[in-house]
Amino acid sequence: MKSASQLKLGEKVVIKNIDSSHPSSRRLLEIGFTPGQEIELINSSVFNDPMAFSIRGTLIALRRNEAGCIKVE
Amino acid sequence: MNLPATARSPLITLVGPPNSGKTTLFNYLSGNNFKTVNYPGATVEYSLGKFQSKFSLKAILLDSPGIVSLIPNSPDEVVAVKSLYSHPELGPPDLIIVTVDASQLSRHLLLVSQLKKSNFRIVIALTMVDILQRKKLAIDTIKLGELFSCDVVKIDGRSGKGVDNLISKVENIFSSMNHKSTESTRANFCNDTNDLIDTFNKIEKIEAEVLINLVDPSQLPNISKANKQLRILIDPKSKIECNKIDARTLKIDRILLHRIWGLVTFFAVMTLTFTSIFWLAEPLISVVDSLFSLLSSESLKLFGYGWFGDLVANGIISGTGSILVFVPQIIILFLILGLLEDTGYLARGAMLIDKPLSKIGLNGKSFVPMLSGFACAIPAILATRTIPNRRERLLTIFIIPLMSCSARLPVYALLLAFILPSDKSWLGGFLLASIYIFSIVASAIIAGIINKLRNKLIKEEDNSSFILELPAYRIPKFKVVIHNTITSTTSYLRKAGPVILTLSLFLWMLTSFPNINPSIDKTGLTKDEILNLTKAERLSTSYAADLGKIIQPIMTPIGMDWRVGVSLIAAFAAREVFVSSLALIFKVTSDETTLQNSIVSAMRNATVEDTEQKLFTASTIIGLIIYFIFAMQCLSTIAVSRKESGGWRIPILQILIFTAAAYVFTFISVNGLRALGWD
Ligand SMILES: Nc1nc2c(ncn2[C@@H]2O[C@H](COP(=O)(O)OP(=O)(O)O)[C@@H](O)[C@H]2O)c(=O)[nH]1
Ligand SMILES: [Mg+2]
Repeated sequence: MKSASQLKLGEKVVIKNIDSSHPSSRRLLEIGFTPGQEIELINSSVFNDPMAFSIRGTLIALRRNEAGCIKVE
Repeated sequence: MNLPATARSPLITLVGPPNSGKTTLFNYLSGNNFKTVNYPGATVEYSLGKFQSKFSLKAILLDSPGIVSLIPNSPDEVVAVKSLYSHPELGPPDLIIVTVDASQLSRHLLLVSQLKKSNFRIVIALTMVDILQRKKLAIDTIKLGELFSCDVVKIDGRSGKGVDNLISKVENIFSSMNHKSTESTRANFCNDTNDLIDTFNKIEKIEAEVLINLVDPSQLPNISKANKQLRILIDPKSKIECNKIDARTLKIDRILLHRIWGLVTFFAVMTLTFTSIFWLAEPLISVVDSLFSLLSSESLKLFGYGWFGDLVANGIISGTGSILVFVPQIIILFLILGLLEDTGYLARGAMLIDKPLSKIGLNGKSFVPMLSGFACAIPAILATRTIPNRRERLLTIFIIPLMSCSARLPVYALLLAFILPSDKSWLGGFLLASIYIFSIVASAIIAGIINKLRNKLIKEEDNSSFILELPAYRIPKFKVVIHNTITSTTSYLRKAGPVILTLSLFLWMLTSFPNINPSIDKTGLTKDEILNLTKAERLSTSYAADLGKIIQPIMTPIGMDWRVGVSLIAAFAAREVFVSSLALIFKVTSDETTLQNSIVSAMRNATVEDTEQKLFTASTIIGLIIYFIFAMQCLSTIAVSRKESGGWRIPILQILIFTAAAYVFTFISVNGLRALGWD
């Protein structure tokens, strides 16, 4: 399944689920990355890591590794 | 008004997600312009305040670090969540005011619903209503209050709009409160991931119910004006509108977070920050400097050249003056840091530097603490509480004393003034910037080495993560920034001032006693010669000289003598004491126009005792600079490092490693330069 770490700049997708085995999964849910939400990759820094997503009207920067546990449709 | 009958005034705790306006509201309510910054988690310690008297509400108010949920993720969040259940000194709060950013309703309501589930008594303070309004949306506060069965008040902590309403709601709650009702039912909150998803689903329904579209109803056909609440349900546009990011922020980020331009601006901003510390401060420094030398020489004339005049002019005035001279640089540093924080750039900086920092065992979240370390290590170490991973946090604490704190500025400025020819003072900014870059590179290397030795030195393992909200850009509030700068600077002076003054006096005594009035042969000498001979005799028979003889063997290998050694010991109390100590030990008299010039010329004339060889040369000065780059010298830093790392391990490692590195590198550079004939 595709994950948020594979998005291209400006690509909009809907979250399918969050890999709950990842240690950051709870925090990701708490800040609003819940299934059904639309996210967009807004920026990514030099090494493509971290990446900044728009979610629920805010920008949130995540490491690539963490974005990897956000599965998208 | 009926207040609950407890021993203390009721306690109201402000909680909310980072950047939801807690501190702004706290400042308005308490009249205490404490600190508002645009970096998530900037409030690392809680601040306590009372309601301003004009609100006629007797209660204690507590501002806490931002939390996203009741399950904490980093040390600062642990502090905040604990204080919700029970503040360590004040006990459980009587009421909780939750700040909720109206423009980020669905994210911020998670905390509200968790608080509600665990039976806290809450009032919702809706902030940023103006931002929501710009998106042509509003919130039905009555409905929201019904859904959460609590009071909801719109406020703007910047102007105080809605605060009266909030106060009267709070008064109502206090007067109708039977005191012990909630404590017993308050359960520790726990949730699993399914629970979280469930909660968010409910929140989204609530959001849809309370959001009101402000677009003129006549533009929406087929909807009766009376049917206001319904409108939102059939209009999906409002939800889309609500989840739109500030367009200006997106535009700016296209440059500031650009792969190439982002890095370029990052380095430009950092370079500008550090060079302006030197450039902008220069004219101010010479003003303060001349003022103090004038004071010093005038007081010598006034009180005479005996021991009392000497105490006033050299013990008190030169001692404090040599420190106050650098206040302009400190102010400028705090000012720039404040501006960067308030615009929202610092969070971007953290994001850009996360990858490189993670390579040496640090985290993007180490960036802000490390940057504050350039002002002072103490608040910087406190700020590491925002780093969730314990290993990275300990390593950040470890490395912070290597950041060139403002206490080193006076020392560098003096030493640079010594090696710079007076017609090339523009080189100063360049050299200072090099010192900064050198110390940054050196600390990166040291962090990398420590990280490689990870299991031997810092035995912690934990999930490394970087999740950071990037706040919308905004024009900094100069009033707030300037106020914060003044507060930081005065608190710095209040903290450092007494130490410096006490030490200056102590050093003055060490260098003047026991032989305060030495007997010398005055025959055939001019008044000036008598004065100088007296001073020299007094010093060479003083306690400081005795002490110095003991440490002489350590100082000789690095090309210095006991007088520098005494100053280096004094610098353990606070680095900037080094300057006033040199001024005292070399008995600087203010015959030059500025204090710094007189210290420099005294240093130029100083010779290694009993020889003609110059004590301060290019090589020893560079050696001293190297020493100050590495050495762990500040007692307060050691104390804070012990407290925040939870043991003596880190501070002892810092003292041993940094001081040893300082000595070894100084030894190498002094002797290396001499071998190259660069003396
Ligand atoms: N537009 C707007 N800005 C606000 C409002 N309340 C606070 N702010 C700003 O939001 C920023 C974050 O506020 P702060 O009190 O530091 O948030 P905290 O992290 O919760 O303590 C500050 O720069 C405030 O000036 C408001 O009602 N409207
Ligand atoms: Mg705050």
